[in-house]
Amino acid sequence: MLEVTDLHIEIEDSVIPETVVYDFDISVSAGEIVGIVGESGSGKSMSAHAIAGLLSRKDMKKKGRIVFEGEELLTVSRSRLRKIQGDDIAVVFQEPMTSLNPVLTIGTQVEEALRIHSDLSDEELKKSALEMMRLVELDDVEELYYKYPHELSGGMRQRVMIAAALICDPKLLIADEPTTALDVTIQAQIIELLKKINREKGTAILFISHDLSVVRSLCGRVVVMNRGRIVEQGDAEEVFNNPKEEYTKNLIEAIPKFCKIAVPKKNTDRKPLLEVRSVSARYKKVTGYLIPGTKQKTIVKNASFTMYEGEIMGLVGESGSGKTTLGKTILGMLDDTEGEIIHYSKMPQMIFQDPYGSLNPTKTIGWILQEPLRIKGGFSAKERSEKAKEMLSLVGLDEGILARRPSALSGGQRQRVCIALALMLEPRLIIADEPVSALDVTVSNQVINLLIELNKKLGIAILFISHDLKVVYELCSRIIVMKDGEIVEQGTDEEIFNNPKKEYTKQLLLSAGYTD
Amino acid sequence: MKNLMFRIRKNPEMYIGAAIIVVMLAIIICGVIFSPYDPDAMDASAKFADPSPAHPMGCDNFGRDLYARLSIGGATTLFIAVATVFIGVIFGIIIGALTGYYGGVVDEILMRFNDAVLAFPSILLALVFISLFGSGTFKVIISLGILFIPSFARIVRSEFMRCSKLDYVRSARLMGAGDLRIMFVHILPNIIPVLLSSTVIGFNNAVLAEASMSFLGIGVQPPSSSLGRMLSEAQAFLFSEPSYAIITGVTIALIVLGFSLLGDGLKKNA
Amino acid sequence: MKAVLKKLLTFIITVLLVTLFVFVAFEMIPGDAATARLGINATPEALEKMREEMGLTRPFFVRYFSWLGSFFFGDMGVSYSYGVSVRSMLASKLPITLTLTLMAFIMVVVLSIPIGLYSSKYEDRVFAKVIDVSGQLVMSIPPFFLGILVTYVFGMLLHMFTPGGFVSYDINFGKFISYLIFPALAIAVPKAAMSTKLLKTSILSERRLDYVRTAYSRGNSTMDVLYKHVLKNAVIPVITFLGMTLADIVAGSLVIEQVFSIPGYGRLLISSIANRDYPVVQAIIAIIAMIVIFINLLVDVTYQVLDPRLRGN
Repeated sequence: MLEVTDLHIEIEDSVIPETVVYDFDISVSAGEIVGIVGESGSGKSMSAHAIAGLLSRKDMKKKGRIVFEGEELLTVSRSRLRKIQGDDIAVVFQEPMTSLNPVLTIGTQVEEALRIHSDLSDEELKKSALEMMRLVELDDVEELYYKYPHELSGGMRQRVMIAAALICDPKLLIADEPTTALDVTIQAQIIELLKKINREKGTAILFISHDLSVVRSLCGRVVVMNRGRIVEQGDAEEVFNNPKEEYTKNLIEAIPKFCKIAVPKKNTDRKPLLEVRSVSARYKKVTGYLIPGTKQKTIVKNASFTMYEGEIMGLVGESGSGKTTLGKTILGMLDDTEGEIIHYSKMPQMIFQDPYGSLNPTKTIGWILQEPLRIKGGFSAKERSEKAKEMLSLVGLDEGILARRPSALSGGQRQRVCIALALMLEPRLIIADEPVSALDVTVSNQVINLLIELNKKLGIAILFISHDLKVVYELCSRIIVMKDGEIVEQGTDEEIFNNPKKEYTKQLLLSAGYTD
Repeated sequence: MKNLMFRIRKNPEMYIGAAIIVVMLAIIICGVIFSPYDPDAMDASAKFADPSPAHPMGCDNFGRDLYARLSIGGATTLFIAVATVFIGVIFGIIIGALTGYYGGVVDEILMRFNDAVLAFPSILLALVFISLFGSGTFKVIISLGILFIPSFARIVRSEFMRCSKLDYVRSARLMGAGDLRIMFVHILPNIIPVLLSSTVIGFNNAVLAEASMSFLGIGVQPPSSSLGRMLSEAQAFLFSEPSYAIITGVTIALIVLGFSLLGDGLKKNA
Repeated sequence: MKAVLKKLLTFIITVLLVTLFVFVAFEMIPGDAATARLGINATPEALEKMREEMGLTRPFFVRYFSWLGSFFFGDMGVSYSYGVSVRSMLASKLPITLTLTLMAFIMVVVLSIPIGLYSSKYEDRVFAKVIDVSGQLVMSIPPFFLGILVTYVFGMLLHMFTPGGFVSYDINFGKFISYLIFPALAIAVPKAAMSTKLLKTSILSERRLDYVRTAYSRGNSTMDVLYKHVLKNAVIPVITFLGMTLADIVAGSLVIEQVFSIPGYGRLLISSIANRDYPVVQAIIAIIAMIVIFINLLVDVTYQVLDPRLRGN
């Protein structure tokens, strides 16, 4: 059905033309699911967009052949190409947040392709749109039809995107990282949906992803790309079990697995450090205008747990589960809270998710590190600078960066500086809010190792907030699972991972691919 | 050198704008310091004299040296602009910082008031002030200065609101930094780029506003002169001596152009 | 519905705030209305009597609301200088200023939208760049200077109109309109340049967004992508700008009237300020302010119609 041979893509920028895809060959037969895997910048999206006819003919020079159902798409007239786009070849993009037009209703966007490619009346269009929206398992479709994208969640939007792509019953669906921006449980649902569509409608799918485990669960055949070239291709299971090329092996190697980096010490003396007793937190939104009224939304409901000296505790949940809010509540950063929080030591410090936002861009690292002591008072300039140097070496950074500003540092370095900053006041507890989710895998591993090392060396307890079960599994000895503001389950790592009691925990583990 | 060319190509507005401002400033300062003529000295024999080595831009209807008058007028206009923007920025920072950082009821009330003030076209408000206070250089400064506060306050407020939600501010609060320290040591340096570009655009608006008011005869009063006044005087002789009006008008236009380009360029950088 | 109510409430509050401001401002002027009526040589007793008669001894808010009430019913007081009712003075001039403003606004829209579309569509062509640069230059010309240039070029060199030859609408409507074309042009051109630039940058930045790629992937032609997708997003900031511009034009016409000797609100306002004819000044400022606030309300409502993200919750 689709036959791509010898495709070259060159970006004709004003400076230097740059070839981004070389010798790209791929074939997709009717009803097949083919995956293209590669890291960012490997040219996988570029190739897929070329097949869909989405690269501008002006700036992108293309050589080779893209034959779809006997037609050469690279040389076919624009008007003919438009006939194929949306009708025979449809695309689902990565970002469900921005890929829908914000000012058009869901209905208009779902039925648009059908409106372009057929002469159906408005009623018939609506009928097909509703049917398609039901097929992708959206609820209350009649109501949804008149809604706008901003009123929908990310998962719903991606379903809308899929419904819109399928409305003309295309022969080929190109899915460009359709699950990357979504939470794990939603991710699994979307994959199931794609499988169902393939099964029921016989739509061929070209699935582009950086996530090998997702590709493996969905695709029959897989193409591995690196730096614009195809490295290896073949039957998916075959490629995963017997990778021939070094690059593929490394890629498979790098799939995060569930493994303990270090067995954390289980506290025997159980000296409490922090006690959270039925804590609730609300966000107040001032809605009133003249007569001030407030809309309240309870983010954390009745949470209770205790942390002990020197332990690393994981706080897991998907986005919107209230885990970050709970962290902030513990630190007293929110106004509208209920319940009791007892600190048995001095105030904990926090490490934030985004290492780019948590350091003041106008100050030097030295200034930033000394600031806590400056605020506390009673330290001479020399003492402050000595202490800053000491903490810096503790997190494995060179003194040379003291004079630099945050913008001159890499993400990993910044996160280390943030850790050093948190250590300046010598807290007994650090709350780390997704400290590695903005970092690359290798850097992320280094930062996790550093946290473990500090935990061992200084005996600092860490409350580790994360959405990533694999990371939590690596370093935490006890785990709290949160959903919709409530603590679903808490227990030791063994209890949670090997013997989960609640349905949600099981679902979470399944979506993350945990099998014991 | 190559580096400079690259920078200019990347942000031509900023460099062209800065160049225009520097040249205009140089012309005005040279005129104020070196012109041998008293800008108010009339010379009946030199009425509408054409440009010559003695009078580089010619003379006006009273035979006053145009270059000398233009420099003094330009200096007055710029002085008013600087003073006006200064008032606007200082009070804008104080009000914007407090309302943006603390929010709450005071913020609501002040912003409602701000909106009401901003709802007026600025020239209209200036007219209200002038009809209250009377005209004259000092009163123009006060009127325009008050007028400029709301727009600066709004910019500073939105920046403070944005910054006070950032993690580095949260982290400073966690270390126990006081509100004033967070506002002025941690946040303020971060909003300087934005403040700078809006200050420059403020100059642009101030020059325009002063020129409009003086043109209407309700701004700077004789004997002091400003570019707007000169233009309104020149309009009477537009048919016989168009160069008088054109030179004056182009001077105003260039100053405005320079500031607006520079402001746009700085905004791009911010 | 709730949103509309809220807007309406804002509107009323702003009107109250602004009128209160105008009222307070003119209350602060040294020498009260009684002095103005009787002259500075009046005896204190006469003044006191006059104050009583004019209701100046009533409490502040009573005076404010009675002023506001009579203002809305058309009683704007009596001009100090001419001794005639302010209402009759303003009524005859309203069509002049209104016509000038509307003409200028129509010119802004008619000029900027096609040019903006053109220059965003063919951003690489030389003509689009010429538009960019000349737009930037035109924007920096102060309106009154542009008025003088227009007078000089079109009036004195090309003889397309007679500077100073204003004809009132009740004498010859055709000549009235044709005289106003050039002043309107002087007001409109810089505003049109700004709105062109805004439309262009707005279209260009929208075109980079992901939903545009989605639209192409469904088989839309370039035209359809522009008109059915991009423009619907790109006009939102432009509409706001046009609303603000309309308000600005109302104010800008005050200055241009002076340049072209048009006897509208602007000239009346300036001469009244010079003569300290406060009832006239107060009335004109209050009227213009209310027009401006009303325009802002319209913009807000349009905004909500165009952008679903701002509707409701």
